[in-house]
Amino acid sequence: MGEVMTAQGRMLPADDAADLREIGFRSLDFSELALRVEDELGDELNFDAPGLRRIATVGDVLDFIEQLQSA
Amino acid sequence: MTSKRRSTALIGDDNPVVVAGKSLTWRTLHKLPQLPSPAAVLVDNGADALAALRHHAVHGTELLVATSSRVDERMREELRESGFAIVLPDGDVAPAKLRRVEESGRAWLLTSGSTGRPKRIGHTLESLTTVTSDQPPRTWLLPYSAGTYAWWQVVTLSLTHAQQGLVVVEPHELEEWPAIAAAHGVTAASGTPTFWRQAIYRDADALGAVPLEQITLGGEPVDQAILDQLHDLHPKARISWIYASSEVGASIVVHDGKAGFPKAWLDREPDPDRPTLSVEGDELVIRSPHHGAGLVGDVHTGDRVEFDGDRVLITGRLDTDEINVGGSKVSAGVVRNVLMGHPGVLWARVFARRAPLVGRIVAAEVVLNPALGPITNADLVQWCSSRLPDYGVPRRIRFLDEIPQKETLKSDV
Repeated sequence: MGEVMTAQGRMLPADDAADLREIGFRSLDFSELALRVEDELGDELNFDAPGLRRIATVGDVLDFIEQLQSA
Repeated sequence: MTSKRRSTALIGDDNPVVVAGKSLTWRTLHKLPQLPSPAAVLVDNGADALAALRHHAVHGTELLVATSSRVDERMREELRESGFAIVLPDGDVAPAKLRRVEESGRAWLLTSGSTGRPKRIGHTLESLTTVTSDQPPRTWLLPYSAGTYAWWQVVTLSLTHAQQGLVVVEPHELEEWPAIAAAHGVTAASGTPTFWRQAIYRDADALGAVPLEQITLGGEPVDQAILDQLHDLHPKARISWIYASSEVGASIVVHDGKAGFPKAWLDREPDPDRPTLSVEGDELVIRSPHHGAGLVGDVHTGDRVEFDGDRVLITGRLDTDEINVGGSKVSAGVVRNVLMGHPGVLWARVFARRAPLVGRIVAAEVVLNPALGPITNADLVQWCSSRLPDYGVPRRIRFLDEIPQKETLKSDV
């Protein structure tokens, strides 16, 4: 997540409770992060598997990615 | 039409032809055994392809010529069921499964298959001979795969015009073609942008040493960067790009060194000798005097155009060019042009990748120019960010070691 933010010229805060809107982490950043994970694993993630829910904080993003990986 | 346009006299029969290092002429090429008609002649070398073409030109037989690797077993069966005898590279003949009367003088082409399975398009030597004006003496490189539209364009030019020599490059010689071209005094060459980029990438000095007076590009979208690079290497050469396909023939020819064509060429007064160009939605539509058999009237090309000032740019195929990023649409061709505009990028392919939340995001593969020092992912993202909306900036960029190329000299961009 830090790498995605750095590529956009921003910094990832240390606090998992940080609000995504406040730190400027947008849908595109989230999508990029998912593809970075995919490339890292060398395997396609099942984007349809995790249930839709509110993703508002840094912690939510990390949970969602974890969920994708185990789906 | 003028009578000159429809003349297919073999004026170039004594033009020099270099195949497999041997200097011959069209007339002294080896003769094929009596070919059946209709015949699909599958070849594994340039000399056999030229011999088949000359046989067709002299005898008016019905011919399809293609490299054997382009015609799979299924297509061979389809051809036999359509009345073609299949002539294999070793001379063996698989007879036709349907007996029918030949279409005298018919030449069949296979489309490049960019949009799926190759299709068969009917032409004649006359409809394929689109260069009709007097030409300065030239020696042409022939790098194209036998039987493609571009191949027919170069070979008919040589066979029907005086002083238009040919130097055939076989697929296994493609990597060193500039050395072959320089050795045989090639002064004109036609290739896809991918073909030219690879030549620059491999050895720009070797390319610069070829005494080129005419450089032609076609078969893929042509961006400004490749035109500029070629101009830098060959400042005195005329650089042209051609929009041509098996379906509509050579329909747009641009010599001003700029990408795209002038907007003023759209919707001009109909002229029987000149293709009519128009745009419907964002699709290029062509009505051409050089079209294949059965393609009368407007042909929807499936190619996407975009207006840029007074130019019309052809950005790519409509069905693959548009990328929908969370409801915002961006042209892969436009993004590719931006990447190719970076001085350190030699080649780029832009495509969509499936992603959560936004459905698709823009991704790219690039080949860098090693002479220009290290270029990072962040450099390219920054370059694109200042030229594209945020949804158009490639979010995943993969660096390749070399430019991928198919037998058709295209690269799936």
